[in-house]
Amino acid sequence: MYHNSSQRKYWIFKSEEELEQMRCKANQKFRNKTLESGKHGVTESMFLERHEEDVLFRHYERRLLDFCNAFKPAMPKSVVGTAAMYFRRFYLNNSIMEYHPRIIMLTCAYLSCKVDEFNVSSTQFVGNLLQETPAGQEMVLEQILEYELLLIQQLIFHLVVHNPYRPMEGLLIDLKTRYPVLESPESLRKSADDFLTQAAMTDAGLLFSPSQIALTAILNAASRAGLNLMSYLTECLGLKDDKEALSKMCDTMRRMKNLLKKYELPKPEEVNVYKQRLERIHAEFATSNNKRKRGYEEDGHVAKEPRLVEEEWTDEDLM
Amino acid sequence: MDDQGCPRCKTTKYRNPSLKLMVNVCGHTLCENCVEMLFVRGSGNCVQCDTPLRKNNFRVQLFEDPTVDKEVEIRKKVLKIYNKRDFDFPSLREYNDYLEQVEDIVYNLTNNVDVENTKLKMEQYQRENRDIIQRNKAKLTREQEELEELLLLEQQSNEQRRLEVLQEEQRQLQAKRKNKQALLDELEQSQLPATILLAQHKVRASQLETQIEQQKQTVKPTSLFSTGINMRQTVSLLPVPQIEDILYHYKPLQVQTYGPTVPELEHLSRLGYLNHVRAALPQDTAGGYTSALACYRAIQDAFSGLYPEKG
Repeated sequence: MYHNSSQRKYWIFKSEEELEQMRCKANQKFRNKTLESGKHGVTESMFLERHEEDVLFRHYERRLLDFCNAFKPAMPKSVVGTAAMYFRRFYLNNSIMEYHPRIIMLTCAYLSCKVDEFNVSSTQFVGNLLQETPAGQEMVLEQILEYELLLIQQLIFHLVVHNPYRPMEGLLIDLKTRYPVLESPESLRKSADDFLTQAAMTDAGLLFSPSQIALTAILNAASRAGLNLMSYLTECLGLKDDKEALSKMCDTMRRMKNLLKKYELPKPEEVNVYKQRLERIHAEFATSNNKRKRGYEEDGHVAKEPRLVEEEWTDEDLM
Repeated sequence: MDDQGCPRCKTTKYRNPSLKLMVNVCGHTLCENCVEMLFVRGSGNCVQCDTPLRKNNFRVQLFEDPTVDKEVEIRKKVLKIYNKRDFDFPSLREYNDYLEQVEDIVYNLTNNVDVENTKLKMEQYQRENRDIIQRNKAKLTREQEELEELLLLEQQSNEQRRLEVLQEEQRQLQAKRKNKQALLDELEQSQLPATILLAQHKVRASQLETQIEQQKQTVKPTSLFSTGINMRQTVSLLPVPQIEDILYHYKPLQVQTYGPTVPELEHLSRLGYLNHVRAALPQDTAGGYTSALACYRAIQDAFSGLYPEKG
C-alpha cells in the first residue's frame, strides 16, 4: 500500500527546488571531498557544473531505459519503472562524478529485477550487454555485485517502489464501472501509457504519488481526445464538496504537465564533451574504487569460495 | 572403561573382566586382591596417599570416577550430623543457607580443601546441636519404620490376592475333573443311550463354564485408588482462583489512505467492477486466486494517496 510506504514517507519531496538543492549539495560534497584530499593539480574548472551533470544524467537515464526495453526476456514495465526510480534516488544524494552512472545504471536494473520478482540469473542479465565479450560481461557482473550493496545502502534500504502502472489499471477499471458516460476508456490507454513513459524520465515520481501520476495520465489522454473528465473527479472521486482539494488537484496536474513539457533530450554534442570530462574525472579520482573492492573481499562477502566448498561436498555425496 | 584398573597390580577390567575395584575413604582405588593382600591385618596405609585405612571401610567402587564414590561416602557421614529438615527453620532462606553450608562441607572434604578446619567446624556443630540431631535421628528412624510397615502391608495384601486366585483356579479345575468322572461313571452304569448321556454332560459342562465366568466377572469392588486415596473420600477441590484481567478490546483498524474510499472486496462483484477485469482461469484459482483480488489491489493502488497533501 502506498499510503503507509517508505516511498510516501521518505521519497516524496515538496518541490523541484528542493530536489535541485539536494543535487547541488551532492555536487558540492564531491568537490569539497576531492579538494580536501589535497591531490596535485586539482582545479575547480575540472569539475562538472550542475547543469552539465544533469545533461549526463539524462543521457544515462535514456540508456538505462533503452537497455531495459531491449532486455531479453522482455522486462515488465514495473521493473523498468523501479530501475529508473532507483537511478533517480541514487543520484539525489550522490554526484555522478563520484560514482560512474554507467555501472550504477546496470546495478539499478539488476537490483530492480530482483526486487520486483523478475527472475533472471546474473549471467543471463549481463548476457544482454551485447557489445561486450564474455570476459567483459564477467567483469561487468563483478562490478555490479560490487556496487549492489552500496546502492541498497544509498536507497536507505527502501527497496519497494510504487509505480503508477497499476494505479492506472485501477482507474481504468473504475472508469468503466462507475463512469459509463465515457464510451471507450480503452482508447485512452495508448496515450496514457506514453504519458507514464514520459513521466518516468522526470522528477514526477519524487514529487507526486503514483495514483496522482496515473490520474494525470488518464485526464491528459482524455483532453487530447477532446474529452473532459472533470465530472469524474467531482462525482466519483469525491472531490465535489472540497473545492480546495479540487483546485489543488488541478494545480498538481498542471505542475506535472509542465514538468513533462520541460523535458528535453540531451544534445549529443554536449553529451560527448561532458562525457570526456567525466571520464577524466573518474580516471583521476578512481582510487577509491579499488580500495572498496578489496575491502569487500576482505569482509568475506565474495560468494565464490563457499560455493566451491559446497560443490566438493555434493561430489563426495554422489560417490 | 579400558583404562580402569588397579593402580598397584596394573590389572585392568579388559584383561580381567571379573576385576572388582574397591574404594576407601581417601578416594583411591585398589582391586579386591590387593586389598586382601595388603590389609591382611585389618588395617594399613593407602598405597597412594598414605592415609591410614581400615579393611572394613573398603567399598565396591560403583562409579567410574572413584572421587564420586568418596563423595557419596562422605555425604552419608555428613548428613548423619547435619540432619535438620526444612521445618526446623523459620524461613526458606535460612534452610537454603544451611543446605549450602552442607554442600560446602562435603565439597571441602571430598577435594581435600581446608580439611582440618572443616572437621573442626563439623565437630563444633555436632556439639552445639546434639539434642536436635538426636531428635531428628529418632524421627527419621520412626518415619523409616512407618514406611517399611506400609510396604510390608502392601506386600502381604499382594500375596493374599495371589493365593486367592490360585485357590480359585484349583477349585475350578477340580469341578471340571469331577464332572468328567461323573460322565464316565454314568456311561458305565446307566441304562440310557450314550447320546443322551453325552448331551446331558454337555449341558452340565456349559453350566459350569458360565458359573466360572460369572465368578470371574464379580470382582471384589475395590475401595482404593491406585494412588492410595479412598474411593469415597471427598477431596476438597478448591476452585481455581480467578484472575481478573482487563479483556482485550478489539478496535477496528483505521488506515488513512489519503484518497477516495475503496469499495470492500466483497462488494466488488455487486458493484460491477468484475465485469471489467479478466476472469480467472480454472488453473489460476487452484492457489486461491480470484479476479476480485487483482481488481481490489488495482483499485486500492489507484486511490491510495490520490488527494494532494494538505498544507
